[in-house]
Amino acid sequence: MNNILTVFKKEFYRVMSDKRLIFTAIFLPGLAIYLMYSFMGNAIGNQVDEVESHTIILYTENMPDTLRDQIVGDDQRDVEFHDFDDMPYDDIKAGILEGDIDVLIRFPENFETTISQYDQPGYVVPEVMTSYNPGERYSNSAYYYLLSHLNAYGFDISYDRLGEDMFAFHTDLTNPDHIIMDEQRASGQSFAMLLPMLIVMFLFSGAMTIGPDSIAGEKERGTIATLLVTPIKRGELAVGKVMSLSIIALMSATSSFIGIFLSLPMLMQGEELDANIYGVGEYLSIFGVLLATVLVIVGLVSAISAYAKSIKEASMMILPLYFLSVIVGVSSMFSGEAATNPLMYLVPIYSSVNMLIGIMTFEIVPLHFLLMVISSVVYVAILIFIINKLFQSEKVMFSK
Amino acid sequence: MNTLEVRNLTKRFKLSKKQQRLEKTDATVKVACNDVSFTAYPGEIFGLLGPNGAGKTTCLRTISTLIKPDEGDVIVGGSSVVTADEEVRGKIGFLTSELKLEDHFTPNYLFRYFSRLHGIAEDAIEDRKMELFKRFGIDEFMEVKVGELSSGMKQKTSIAISLVHDPDFIIFDEPTNGLDVLTARSVTDYLIELKNQGKTVILSTHILSVVEKLCDRVGIIINGKMKRCDTLANVRKEQQSADLEELFFQLVEEENLLGGDLA
Ligand SMILES: Nc1ncnc2c1ncn2[C@@H]1O[C@H](COP(=O)(O)OP(=O)(O)O)[C@@H](O)[C@H]1O
Ligand SMILES: [Mg+2]
Repeated sequence: MNNILTVFKKEFYRVMSDKRLIFTAIFLPGLAIYLMYSFMGNAIGNQVDEVESHTIILYTENMPDTLRDQIVGDDQRDVEFHDFDDMPYDDIKAGILEGDIDVLIRFPENFETTISQYDQPGYVVPEVMTSYNPGERYSNSAYYYLLSHLNAYGFDISYDRLGEDMFAFHTDLTNPDHIIMDEQRASGQSFAMLLPMLIVMFLFSGAMTIGPDSIAGEKERGTIATLLVTPIKRGELAVGKVMSLSIIALMSATSSFIGIFLSLPMLMQGEELDANIYGVGEYLSIFGVLLATVLVIVGLVSAISAYAKSIKEASMMILPLYFLSVIVGVSSMFSGEAATNPLMYLVPIYSSVNMLIGIMTFEIVPLHFLLMVISSVVYVAILIFIINKLFQSEKVMFSK
Repeated sequence: MNTLEVRNLTKRFKLSKKQQRLEKTDATVKVACNDVSFTAYPGEIFGLLGPNGAGKTTCLRTISTLIKPDEGDVIVGGSSVVTADEEVRGKIGFLTSELKLEDHFTPNYLFRYFSRLHGIAEDAIEDRKMELFKRFGIDEFMEVKVGELSSGMKQKTSIAISLVHDPDFIIFDEPTNGLDVLTARSVTDYLIELKNQGKTVILSTHILSVVEKLCDRVGIIINGKMKRCDTLANVRKEQQSADLEELFFQLVEEENLLGGDLA
């Protein structure tokens, strides 16, 4: 026990006393995520702003003044009017195709006079023709903006003709209970879709930054042999290393979370996502899952690192496992619901991801939690046993 | 009794393709130690002498429990390396170039770390440390990271760290290799001091003069086989000329003629 603590302290001190390692293993993950998410959020926001501030280039033929005044009067967007007759039709089409012109709206001649005679025998409903380019951001957004004006204009005309009769029925005009949503659950669902995958990724990358160096690296550099001639039990060495690596992986993951939460407002662009919906119980459960998961991940990384001949080989061997876990994490994003089959909570990583989803959607099943924690402890014990055996094997430790 | 008994020790290595090429052989197995036996007693320095590749390091690694014997056993102060390896590790101080110190730490930190792993009481660590550090002049660079030390400084630190627990058995593999004359001298002086304290000292070397100056008894190992094992005086007597070098060359020659049947 004393030896475990001694090894743990030394391994932990190794990282904490190395500015470069602190930066790459703990500080960098959070910083990278913060910068990446903020950048993504800003980029999305900027794009929306930019499209909406663009002046719409609109060509019109016979546009009724009522509609024109309505568009001009709406200062949500600036619109530059051009006359259809100014340019050959083919050139206008080419302009739309190339993105120089956003929208063309053509009304038949004497449109307002025609529609005022709607109750005359032989009346034919006139057709308004619009052209736009859905593949161009400006044209696309301009079209929907103008379409809403066109619809409002048509609506007014219908209302003048029919009054209230134009409505077959109203929908939710006065109904106060239209939206029935548990906001907590809705936010919980968002977290459950976003976070479990990231958590697994963060824990894994934390373990991957230092695990191979701490074990395969010590083999490669011949420093572990110095330890192996002391009376320390191989198992104690394994436990001490796994403990220290786990704490550092947790710190690295925590830094990533801070990065996420700081950049969330920018990523969401105003959409509310509030982590305050969770209480102490949820946070404690999440922490429990994190602890169990990090131990399993670090155990895996350590066992592979103990087996590998070099840091490089260890990293290569860990990579497929990492991708597998990310896939498990991603699959949770699509389901958004925790697995209901208790047996699934015996599958490492998968159990963690589903348990996290359960907690974040306020559906903790104690049996699942128990199965997940107990199975993790068993896996860690098996992994430590394996590392212990590997440390004892001269073939593995001193292969040439 | 603090004797160290090597009993019919045999150690074979499987050779990889790469090693076969390096050693220029078709054999898939290398017998690095071939039925080696000897006993080292307290208060003496036993020298394991042999050319490069003779199997000295392999023999010492087996004694130190880093690797397990294929046949035979080593009994260190009553404990077997096969059945009580942890006990053995507590009794020996082992030094070989294969055991490296972590670059990131200082001699001071490492000494304390290894002392704790050996279960030495906190208040005893400091005294032991200063004694050894003064002895080898390590106190002057004890707060400098190992990565920044010269190879001589590293070697001295390794020696001090191998002795943190004041072991009864001292097993040093080519301890003066690569050291400057002065440092080498301080190491050999210390080995003699340890012997005078009643410790059992085994050292390996390929340098005859080291054996002649230091050792009470010598085992000459060539091609994995122990060719002679006796007091230095007796070995010299056998050779009459009192020239160890001559005997050494003869034995190497002899073995080279036998050569083939080994693999
Ligand atoms: N792990 C190993 N795998 C294969 N061959 C080895 C291994 N260790 C040592 N040998 C071989 O065993 C022989 C003896 O090596 P060693 O004990 O290091 O000799 P010495 O220390 O006397 O120079 C050499 O031929 C060496 O190549
Ligand atoms: Mg050697």
